[in-house]
Amino acid sequence: MDVLDSYKKAWENQPDEVRKFSALEIYKMTQANSSSIVKWIFIISILEFVLLNSLYFFVDTGKAMEEYERLGLSNFVLYSQIAAYTILFYFLVMFYLNYKRISVIDSTSKLMTKILKTRKTVRNYVLFNLTYIAMVMLTVTTATVKTDLDVLNTKELLFVILATLIATTLILGVFWLFYQLLYGILLRKLNRNYKELAKLETTN
Amino acid sequence: MQKDLENKFLSDFEKNQNIAHKICRLYTTNRDAHNDLFQEITIQLWNNYPKFRGDSKFSTWMYRVALNTAISLYRKSTRTIKTQDISDVAFKIKSNDYDDTEERQLKALYAAVRKLNDIDKALIFLYLEDKPYKEISEALGISSVNARVKMNRAKEKLKNILNP
Repeated sequence: MDVLDSYKKAWENQPDEVRKFSALEIYKMTQANSSSIVKWIFIISILEFVLLNSLYFFVDTGKAMEEYERLGLSNFVLYSQIAAYTILFYFLVMFYLNYKRISVIDSTSKLMTKILKTRKTVRNYVLFNLTYIAMVMLTVTTATVKTDLDVLNTKELLFVILATLIATTLILGVFWLFYQLLYGILLRKLNRNYKELAKLETTN
Repeated sequence: MQKDLENKFLSDFEKNQNIAHKICRLYTTNRDAHNDLFQEITIQLWNNYPKFRGDSKFSTWMYRVALNTAISLYRKSTRTIKTQDISDVAFKIKSNDYDDTEERQLKALYAAVRKLNDIDKALIFLYLEDKPYKEISEALGISSVNARVKMNRAKEKLKNILNP
C-alpha cells in the first residue's frame, strides 16, 4: 500500500469546516468588489490613459502651437497626433477585448496565458507612449537647433542638445522602471506559477 | 429572474462551500487570508454563475473556478506570512471515539501540502479529492500524460516532506 493512501483516507474523513458561512454572509460577499490581479491591471491601465492624456491640460496649447509654427512643425504635430490617437484607440480596443476574454472558467494554463497577454498589451501601450514622447522631444529639439542656429553659440547649442538628451532619457527611464516594478510586484506570483506549469510541458 | 438565480447560487454554494474552505486552507496560512481568498472565490463564482449551464455538476465547476482564483487571480502572496499555524485549521471538536491518528495525519498532511508550490498543491489537492486524470488535465490545461508525470513528481515531493 502506498504511504499516501493512509493520508488520503485521513483527508477523506476530515470533518467539515466549523466556521461555515451562512447564505446571508455569502450574499454579502458577492456584493463586494473583486481585488483580483486582472482587476488591478484594468485599473492601472485606465489610470495610465487618464494620467497621460490629462498632461495636455497643463500645457498652454495656444502658446505651444505658436512655438510649433515658428519652428515649422505644425504639420508634424498634427499628423503625429492623429497617428498617436489612432494607435491609442487601437490599444484601448485591444485591451478591452483581452480583458473581456479572460475567463476564470478556462483551464489554468489558458487563463494565465490570457492574463499575461493582457499585461503585454498594457506594456506595449506604455512603450508606445514613451517612444512617442521621446520622438516629440527629439524632433522639437532638432527643429529648435535648426531654427535658432544663428542666435546660439556652440556652447549653448551643445548645452541644449545634451540637456534634452539627458532629460528625455531620465524621464523615460524613470517611467519604465516604475512600470516594470509595478507589474513585477503585481504579477510575480502569476509568472512563477506560469513557469511551473510550462515547465511541465517542455520536460516531456 | 435575478432573484431566482441568486437564491439558486446561494443554496448551491452554501452546500458546497467546504471545497472552497479546503482550498483556502491549503493556499493561505492565517484566518484573515483564508477569509480574503474565500471572498474572492465567492465573487468569481457569482460573477460567472450566469455562464454556468449545469451540464457539469456545480461542485465540478466550482473546483475549477476556485483553484483558478487561488493560483492565478488572488493577489496577496502567502509567502510573506511565515507562520504555519496549523492549529488555526478549524476542525470540528472531536467526539469521544474520534481517531487521534487520523487527526495527526491530517494536520501533517496540511502542513506538508502547504510547502509545495501552487501548481503541485493543485495537483495533490485534486488527487486527494479523488478526481480522475481527465478532469485534472482539463482543469489545468495540460495533456493527461503530463498530468500523470507531474502528479507522480508532486507525490514524491509530498512523501519526502511527510517522511524525510
